[in-house]
Amino acid sequence: MESFVNETLVRGLMHENPATYEYTWLVQVVWMVTLAFLAGTFGAVISGIYTWTERRMAGRIQSRIGPNRVGPAGFLQWIVDAVKLLLKEDLTPKDADPILFKIAPYFVFLGFVMTFVALPFSASFVAADLNVGIFYILAITALVVVGVLMSGWASNSKWALFGGIRSAAQVVSYEIPAGLSLLVPVMMAGTLSTQGLIQFQGGPQDGAWWQVGGWFWNWTAFANPMAFVAFFIFFIASLAEGNRTPFDLPEAESELVAGFFTEYSGMRFAVFTLVEFGNIWVMSALAVILFLGGWEIPGVSHAQIAASPWYGYSLISGGIFVLKTLLMSLVVMWIRWTLPRIRVDQMMNICWKYLVPISMVLVVLTAANELLMAWASPLVLSLLHIVFFAMAGLLPAVLFFKQTFKNIRLMGDRVDLSNW
Amino acid sequence: MSATQEYVQNIRDTVTSFWHGMSITLSHMFRRPMTVQYPDRVDVPVRDTLPPRYRGFLEMDSAICTLCQACERACPIACIAIEIEKDPANPKQRIMTRFDIDAAKCMYCGLCVEQCPTGALQHTREFEGTMVNIANLTFRFVDPTKPVTAYKLPKGAESYPRRMLGEIVQQQMRAWDAPPPPFIPEEPAPAVAAAPAKAEEKAQ
Amino acid sequence: MNAAGQNVLLEKLSQDSDLMLLNMGPQHPSTHGVLNFVVQTDGEVMKKAVPQIGYLHRGIEKIAEQVQYPQFMPYTDRVDYLAAMFANEGYALAVEKLLGLEVPPRAKYLRAISCELNRIASHLIGAGSMAMDIGATTPFTHGLRERESINDLLEALCGARLTYNYHRIGGVAFDLPDGWADRLRKFLDHFEPFVDEFDRLISDNKIYIERLAGVCTITAEEAVAWGLAGPSLRGSGVDFDVRRDLPYGAYPELKFEVVTGKGWVGQVGDAYDRYFVRVQEMRESVKILRQCLDKLPAGEFQAKVPKRVKPEAGEALARVESARGEMAWYVVSDGTDKPYRVHARTGSFMAMGIIEPKSEGLMIADLVALIGSLDIVAPEVDR
Repeated sequence: MESFVNETLVRGLMHENPATYEYTWLVQVVWMVTLAFLAGTFGAVISGIYTWTERRMAGRIQSRIGPNRVGPAGFLQWIVDAVKLLLKEDLTPKDADPILFKIAPYFVFLGFVMTFVALPFSASFVAADLNVGIFYILAITALVVVGVLMSGWASNSKWALFGGIRSAAQVVSYEIPAGLSLLVPVMMAGTLSTQGLIQFQGGPQDGAWWQVGGWFWNWTAFANPMAFVAFFIFFIASLAEGNRTPFDLPEAESELVAGFFTEYSGMRFAVFTLVEFGNIWVMSALAVILFLGGWEIPGVSHAQIAASPWYGYSLISGGIFVLKTLLMSLVVMWIRWTLPRIRVDQMMNICWKYLVPISMVLVVLTAANELLMAWASPLVLSLLHIVFFAMAGLLPAVLFFKQTFKNIRLMGDRVDLSNW
Repeated sequence: MSATQEYVQNIRDTVTSFWHGMSITLSHMFRRPMTVQYPDRVDVPVRDTLPPRYRGFLEMDSAICTLCQACERACPIACIAIEIEKDPANPKQRIMTRFDIDAAKCMYCGLCVEQCPTGALQHTREFEGTMVNIANLTFRFVDPTKPVTAYKLPKGAESYPRRMLGEIVQQQMRAWDAPPPPFIPEEPAPAVAAAPAKAEEKAQ
Repeated sequence: MNAAGQNVLLEKLSQDSDLMLLNMGPQHPSTHGVLNFVVQTDGEVMKKAVPQIGYLHRGIEKIAEQVQYPQFMPYTDRVDYLAAMFANEGYALAVEKLLGLEVPPRAKYLRAISCELNRIASHLIGAGSMAMDIGATTPFTHGLRERESINDLLEALCGARLTYNYHRIGGVAFDLPDGWADRLRKFLDHFEPFVDEFDRLISDNKIYIERLAGVCTITAEEAVAWGLAGPSLRGSGVDFDVRRDLPYGAYPELKFEVVTGKGWVGQVGDAYDRYFVRVQEMRESVKILRQCLDKLPAGEFQAKVPKRVKPEAGEALARVESARGEMAWYVVSDGTDKPYRVHARTGSFMAMGIIEPKSEGLMIADLVALIGSLDIVAPEVDR
């Protein structure tokens, strides 16, 4: 990124020598702020769009249509909802703690939007390529729970309190399996930087077209069985951290009415909703960065990306990243409309009896694997990855789709997309 | 079962049950939704898709009414109001000056329809009764200025000449949506104010 | 609530000030209507949940004393809006007993057909809303989708989708419409695979099983002692079904199994058993419906009933197996054309009693499961 600012902005636009120009630092800061603002805005917009996506998807799953009146296929519904919530009265309950009640949404929002600082969209589009990027994201998402706890306490409502306490217990416990399983790709790549983790999934530096770039078999998830399992553990743990079904205990509708934001209305409620849906993006983006190849383009090596102008491969890689993250988010939503909710004690059980021990074993096994596979040449590694991908990725996918179409046949229905 | 076996079995059960559940929800994304977009995006008006026995607004064809009042007696909640008097011109003849059905009160049970000897009283397939003023939901099937005489049952007749089902109700429903008259005639205010005063005087 | 009621409530609650008092309802997503549970909790674990009923009391039994015998039929629909046919049939049977009427065989079969269809519709809601209480929304809407098909069928049969008013004293209101039997057969062919899919979607789900297995176990003795009825009773392993043990209508001629809880995933009588009995009963109802369609006799569908129903003074009790358990209609006649007293014993009301003793030590999420597994419908509780 530094080279991009130096070469393209300072030298290209301002015709100055970046090494001697005294305002190079200023250009860099302005560029970072601009990128962070763009990423934050993107987060707000994407969470709005997700409310529409989720409702459309839920509609299909439940044999109905979903929002379809405002704009094409109801796409503008999220804008209408946001405007409506903006116009609503901002109500503070009489017995609530007024200060904490009012600032809680900002904490939640801050914890969400600050993650975008370290989320890389492409080789050059990242606000700050921190060398502890993943660590930073994990730390900053924990800020959300402070806001949630604050809102739960300040609402002076028993339902909200339950939601807040549940959320705190849940997020704190699931940080551990998330962190441990995340160690697997970190150990494999040898870096905490998000860009470094993605570049690790680009295959060898040079090789045949099927070896380099973001092919499926270069992804960390398909590198070895440990990483494959770690991917699922990380995914489950991030579902829990994002309060998504089956871990939506803090806002369990049938138990706690609406959980920690029961008493909120108007725009403060909208902020909570925004964060809830925006977190889908964050958790999917993290899974994509760590395990599913990030912005790597299949068949294009890093040298080619570096050589191309910013709008070339960089733009394509941004598109690939967004597409992968969107698909991942669809999976998150799809899970929500399939599974029931677990109970509080079972939530702890799953964390401490299943996820934590398994991820600990995975960390040890990965370390052993790293030592074991040190002899292998890039070609052998690529071939091994392809074999593992065929077994762990391709085969289940084929079986799954066969099962899906079998389901349609069993009910005597047929595939009909005419009303999509 | 040993603890280890149970541990592994739990994980396996979870994976297989999620596998099936997820494939079912995915398969529903490829099927046609069940719902229709009522009211404006349907191919046929919903009214026309309803079965013939549908119990919508009640409709009475005064031309074949025998003035038997069986419907009024059958109604559990008295939502049918009938007034029958003697014809001043011909004291032997009974005339009906009022036949009101309060569709807001009606519970659409169909007991009155079963009692009707000629089929003058029928359920239509009309059901959309949204309006500003609930008083409009009272259907008046007899114009008091044109009283109705009893229908003589023709001997041995199997059926009776009834108007098309729904015609009368639809006509009244159209009046709800019709634009108001060009001007609203002024109410005779003093007369209304004077009437209770007179009543009070009488009471005293 | 009046002062006396408040005192009763206060006596029931523990005076420990460390406990949190929580009002669950009357406006709460999982109380299945307007119900209130006064919950005392120690964190997530409950000390006690005291149900408060009466929010939906409409005085239906009192109304019966104001209207003539046939005129009360539409009101019976309102007792349990999810399974109106059973209230229809129960009341009709009671009045027929008073009158000493014999119902024609075709009417008996038509009653069985309409009731079994209604049972499926009601169990779809019961099982679906159970899943929704546990947090899975999709099974509920899938259940509703199939219920719509049933509603279409019943609408074609009797003209209404919810308040059927189909049964009459001495028979039923209408015969089958043309082509209706074929429509029903087609629906049953479609419905059987649906139940399998429903099972794979939610009944076999590991989280769902974990949430329900061994939770709120009611033993057979407790179930009998607290007067549970219907699927909730059979879920505890008590083999009792009014359709088989005290047969009425066409049921003596029909073959079906009475499903009892077997501890499919946990203990006998846990929440899962009560849920799964309902799912299995849907399968049994499909069998009954097929038999009814095959055996349907020709002939009259209504007995000769006097124009003015005026039974001699006396009393009659009719019991039917409703979707929510045994429903008993008790009608007292004083020789006039209006009943002297009508009383309905309903399954939901009986089920409310066991919530308080069973709630101790449950978690809040389990209370929701307990209410859902008893399949309580608030208007049936209060009437």
